[in-house]
Amino acid sequence: QNQPIKGTVKDAVSQAPIPGVSVSVKGASQGTATGIDGGFSIQAAADAVLVFSFIGYEKKEVPVGAQTVLNITLQQSASQLGEVVVTALGIERKTRSLGYATQQLNNTDLTTVRQPGANIMNSLSGKVAGAVITPAATGPGGAVRVVLRGNRSISGNNNALIVVDGVPIDNTMTTEPGGSGSANTVATQQKSIASGYSGSDGAASINPDDVESITVLKGPAAAALYGSRAANGALVITTKKGKSGKVTMNYNGGVAIDRPYLLMDLQNTYGRGNGGVYGAQAGESWGAPTTTYKNNVRDFYNTGVTLNSSVNISGGTDKLRGYASYTHNANNGIVPKNRLERNTLNLRLTGELLPRLTTDVKVTYMNQIIKNKPRLGDNGVTNEALIMPRDMHPDSLRNFERLDKTGQPVPVYWTTSSAFQNPYWDVHRTALNEERNRITLMGLAKYQLTDWLSVQGRYSLDRYDDKITGSYYFGTIPVPTLTGGRYQEAYINRWERNMDVLISGNNKLGNDFGINYNAGAAVLRNRGYNSQSFANGLSIPNQFNLNFAATPAFSNLTVEKEIQSVYGNAQLDFRQQLFLDVSARNDWSSTLPAPHSYFYPSVGLSAILSDMLNLPDWISFSKVRAAYTQVGNDADPYLLIQTYTYSLGAGNGFVARDQIKYISDLKPEKTESWEAGTEWRFLDGRLGLDATVYKSNTYNQLIFIGLPQPSGYNQQYINAGNIQNQGVEVMLTGTPVRRQNFTWNSSLNFALNRNKAISLSPGVTQAALTTATGFGSLLVKPGGMYGDIYDYVWSQDSKTGQYLVTTAGLPAVTALQKIGNYNPDYTLGWSNQLQYKRFNLSMLIDGRVGGMVISGTDAMTAYFGIADYTTKYRDGGLVLPGLKPDGTTNTTAITAEQLWTQVSQGGRNGYGQFFAYSATNFRLRELSLGYDFDWQNKLVKSARLSLTGRNLFFFYRGKSLLDIPGIGKRTIPVDPEVAIGSSNYQGIESGILPITRSIGLNLSLSF
Amino acid sequence: CTGKFDDMNKNPAKLSDAGARELPFMFTRAQSAATIHRPYYQTISILMPDLYAQYFALTTTSFQTDRYVMNDGWLSRPGIITYVLTLPQLQTIFDNTERSSGEYALANIMMTYTFHRLTDYYGPVPYFEAGQASSSIAYDPQDKIYDDLFKRLDSAVTNLKAGTAANVFGNYDIIYEGNVQQWIRFANTLRLRLALRISKVDPARAKTEAEAAVAGGVMTAASHSAYIKRSAKGDDANGLATNAVNNEFSMSSTMASYLKGYNDPRLPIYFQPAVASGQFKGLRNGSSATDINKPGNRPAQTSNVGPRWVNWNGATWIGQLEATQPVMHAAEAWFLRAEGALNGWNMDGTAQELYEKGIAASMQEWGINDLTVINSYITSAAVPAAPGDEAGSPAVAATPVKWAATGSMQRLQIGTQKWLALYPDGQEAWAEFRRSGYPVMYPVLQSDNSDLPAGTFINRLPYSSVEASTNGAALEKARQMLGGPDNAATRVWWDVD
Repeated sequence: QNQPIKGTVKDAVSQAPIPGVSVSVKGASQGTATGIDGGFSIQAAADAVLVFSFIGYEKKEVPVGAQTVLNITLQQSASQLGEVVVTALGIERKTRSLGYATQQLNNTDLTTVRQPGANIMNSLSGKVAGAVITPAATGPGGAVRVVLRGNRSISGNNNALIVVDGVPIDNTMTTEPGGSGSANTVATQQKSIASGYSGSDGAASINPDDVESITVLKGPAAAALYGSRAANGALVITTKKGKSGKVTMNYNGGVAIDRPYLLMDLQNTYGRGNGGVYGAQAGESWGAPTTTYKNNVRDFYNTGVTLNSSVNISGGTDKLRGYASYTHNANNGIVPKNRLERNTLNLRLTGELLPRLTTDVKVTYMNQIIKNKPRLGDNGVTNEALIMPRDMHPDSLRNFERLDKTGQPVPVYWTTSSAFQNPYWDVHRTALNEERNRITLMGLAKYQLTDWLSVQGRYSLDRYDDKITGSYYFGTIPVPTLTGGRYQEAYINRWERNMDVLISGNNKLGNDFGINYNAGAAVLRNRGYNSQSFANGLSIPNQFNLNFAATPAFSNLTVEKEIQSVYGNAQLDFRQQLFLDVSARNDWSSTLPAPHSYFYPSVGLSAILSDMLNLPDWISFSKVRAAYTQVGNDADPYLLIQTYTYSLGAGNGFVARDQIKYISDLKPEKTESWEAGTEWRFLDGRLGLDATVYKSNTYNQLIFIGLPQPSGYNQQYINAGNIQNQGVEVMLTGTPVRRQNFTWNSSLNFALNRNKAISLSPGVTQAALTTATGFGSLLVKPGGMYGDIYDYVWSQDSKTGQYLVTTAGLPAVTALQKIGNYNPDYTLGWSNQLQYKRFNLSMLIDGRVGGMVISGTDAMTAYFGIADYTTKYRDGGLVLPGLKPDGTTNTTAITAEQLWTQVSQGGRNGYGQFFAYSATNFRLRELSLGYDFDWQNKLVKSARLSLTGRNLFFFYRGKSLLDIPGIGKRTIPVDPEVAIGSSNYQGIESGILPITRSIGLNLSLSF
Repeated sequence: CTGKFDDMNKNPAKLSDAGARELPFMFTRAQSAATIHRPYYQTISILMPDLYAQYFALTTTSFQTDRYVMNDGWLSRPGIITYVLTLPQLQTIFDNTERSSGEYALANIMMTYTFHRLTDYYGPVPYFEAGQASSSIAYDPQDKIYDDLFKRLDSAVTNLKAGTAANVFGNYDIIYEGNVQQWIRFANTLRLRLALRISKVDPARAKTEAEAAVAGGVMTAASHSAYIKRSAKGDDANGLATNAVNNEFSMSSTMASYLKGYNDPRLPIYFQPAVASGQFKGLRNGSSATDINKPGNRPAQTSNVGPRWVNWNGATWIGQLEATQPVMHAAEAWFLRAEGALNGWNMDGTAQELYEKGIAASMQEWGINDLTVINSYITSAAVPAAPGDEAGSPAVAATPVKWAATGSMQRLQIGTQKWLALYPDGQEAWAEFRRSGYPVMYPVLQSDNSDLPAGTFINRLPYSSVEASTNGAALEKARQMLGGPDNAATRVWWDVD
């Protein structure tokens, strides 16, 4: 006989109500959750037991008996005894038993402060110790680079593997604008689209509103069972499931406005011309002082608007539970006409339709349209807007076209150029549009053979189809020669299927020992197809369809690979205090030469000191852990035999040997890693510490190195090297204040990673990372570090250290000198949640210390006489202190124009050291202020309204590397944390979009 | 279950073998690349040798090479053309054909063509070990390379003459459609060119090679000239036409001074009147950014290249992307023989006769067939004129067209007319200017390269940093062979006074 039972749940110490506590009847499926005020109501029989559970609190079971009102207090879990995380293959493990470091983020961490970048990975910035998050500055929907514990692969991917509900998703890297593609393998080419545009990635289509939690498995140890792709760590995403009981509905909606932030610092004195003389058609602003238009660049940009609305509905019975959601995101970028629109539908059914059989089925469909993606890079739209002369009235550029006698537009530009055009023409008369349809299917059935042994089968399919079209009116740079204009169409299809079976069991061995084990087998099949068609010239001008092609051209790319695997792991425990974990995996990959096989093991140990030893009372929990892992990795397809390419051309076309030498004896890459850590909780969990040290070495890397050009090959693959990363991660969590009406939770994370290239191959002195701009080279040299940037430096006298100048008094330079490294020395993140009555305040401050960026955008503003610092010495008189080639002291005076045009080399190939900046920065990344309304008894159960902000301001930004005598140190004019793309080409930017400062409103409702 | 893995790992979009089926296509690739196809034409033809030969001058401030600034990124590109895009295809032909075959001979001729251009840029370059997949590849001195190039041409001609095939590679040969007789003349003309190139440094060898070339039969008629097909498909459009659309360069003052002064009928073919003024106008090489931005030097006020390459439709330039590209002019053979005759070699004619036939051949090649026009040009006493540029330059020289009496003036006349006839092949024109000092050119107005003060001319290209980083040890040895610092002022082997 069920009866209604009501009550509230409060924190045992602070007496603050706890919303969101799961309340269920033990052994039955009905359940509910507490509201904002901690209140709940549920139907239960007198002999029932109610179970109260919530993350961070110890679970409590209360027999109902005769009570109808239950006021419960929960104890914060000092030891996080019961805390469970989802690890490799979707296996749930108690945190305390793990031999490696993990970190968990919840839905609110991801959805409170929305990202204008429209990629869930941006939400990780500053929150995860040891993660370096780098978004590509390309507007909404751009790819994001997520690197855990340092870069280790020279030619391959360093991004963490992304796993959704136990299944890895395709997150293929994309090439950067102007880039050569990471290893230039077909897999990356497969994703490259029109030159100048940064592609999207797989993570961009994950809907944050459907995410329950993200577990970050930082090292290879954590990820060993995922195999090949997990050597970079993994982000294990668990999406929401239906809960039984009353149907609940949630709504989350938000609006944010984004304004360009950190536009370059520009001069407002001199107009167009050269040598101080006005030139009406001059491209540069080295003319005479005149009236300038301070905001002509800023006015080019729009205010971006981000709109999100998401609704989900959940409910069901003990036999079948459902979750359905719909999310709509719309995002108007700051570049005019750039817009993203995304619709996501998600449906999930879980249940136990038959005794002992658990099933879980999920379908996710997403449609995303990105219109008018901005072109980046040295001749992208950012630079086109930046270089407009300071005396250019914005309206005179806005008249970007006139009509010819047939009524077709002809570009209007104040100067001539083969690199740049009117940015308004770029916006209105060129368009790159992307549409993606993605469907993800997952089906799982698990059968409990006995109460200690189960078998599970799982099938998943992740498929997306991109249609990308590019249209360029006749006259567009850089394809003006194609009479009538140009049109291109690309269809990219990626398809990944995973099938696996897993047998899991656990047994008690006597009173003291227990064992858990899993054994499984999997087949992964990955396919990609890219079909591109080009209308090079349009017979009917500006009619953007392949039917009007004057010269049609086509290209096709296919990639396919399969990995077959068997694996197993076992965990032995002693009284749940000491845990020993071993795992082993063997893979067979189609991309390797026969026998295609590689094997890798791991072992981990964890001990709960606080259970094993008699520790003082103020220590509530203590654990030490250690792990050793190997992870093998295969390669991209098609590297084993020499290939030849057919291409169109005069006569019957051409066949040419490919410029990359094949590698017939390709070996799998191997990463070996150690980690050790400890976790402590003090004072009833008010203070916590989690610290990890690690070291990893990656061997047999597939490295793409330059062969001497005279060999006839540009590059070759070799298996070589030993790249080492070692570091420390520390997380401190605390509750400085816990009162009835006021709580303050704070957490601080710190991470440090040191990379060293210990060796390459004998005789190989360096390996270059990819390139995407005319600046610098990223060279990995034995003894050096991954991410070292080499470029031109100002030469110095070897004895006295004095600068050297040319006979003309200009800086003399030396090529290919190391000027810095793009990786931060360490990263810091400090987040705070304050709750006062119904108000919530959260704040995230984060920083990076060290690292370097070469700003090609800065070089561009220097070359064009646009940067504020170019106003000094316009009339000459700058005598650079230094030695002339004949050894005498320099006395030749130069002008700012001479200096800056010399060192910027046209703005596209400048001398890097002159535009190099420290990437150190601290910023207020996220701020949100929320209020919970008390609407408990109305239709709406709870409501929270938040005011949010992102990238609100910088506390500090790095300075220039050089202190040029007479000019002084300059502050970095761009965000050092955004990149031109998401590949390994980092630390050098050119023509990236300015970052934005966003302010938004967010409303959450529960029904 | 890995049985299907090998098939799965074969790229369906590529060929995994190069055999008899592929060789003709590879020959086409080698021809297209060796003559500098579109992706490289702007940087390693227009922005370097075509400026150094003073055919063009820049009307944009985006590039600094007209003031002798070296762009490291471009310096590796001639090597890409020769080693990466041309050599592997030729090597595949060498590896898969008989040494005595026509295919082998044609590959040898293309090999000579691409390598003489490469070594003339830098001096010593890797040659004998080129094409080996090794991590260090030695450089060879230029005299050794020239010696081997002569041998290649000799064997090619011998084998073509001995062979029975009238046609090799058919329409896969996009220069001569496989016509063996044309290739024999091409090879001999190339041999004559190389012979004159070394005439100062090794006069005896030069004489032997030149006389053998002429005896073997060189180009004489316009129909012998080599033109390569270009296509709007792929990366193979006419490079000059493609880039002329951007209108970043114009006729140089040097060209304007000669063509205007001589009242040369080729003027409206090589260049066209400025869009805004309807006048032929050029600007000086080495103009500063301030000079370039003078209203009178802007693209609309200066002369773009001729209608063979681009046409103004009233709003924009339309490129003739499929215009054929000259590879070698018959006129060149006449001028080379004229110079040889002055050297006292047996060139089958007197210097004057050969000089005048060279002028006529060039006129005819550009479609000027009226003998009266040609003859009045040949006999004209006209000398270069003030070009009418913004710099107010006087006439560049006083070289008349009409055959002069003195040997030194005759050499200057031959050099000047050959320079006019070689247009638009700036690479060959620059090489001959370096060797002979002809024609007389304006000094660059401004040099931003401290190794080359204004008043001097550029002598070679420095090695690129790509070589330093991938083939450093071999490069260090090559630098020892240079006989001077590795900069643009040091002269190559054959460039002696």
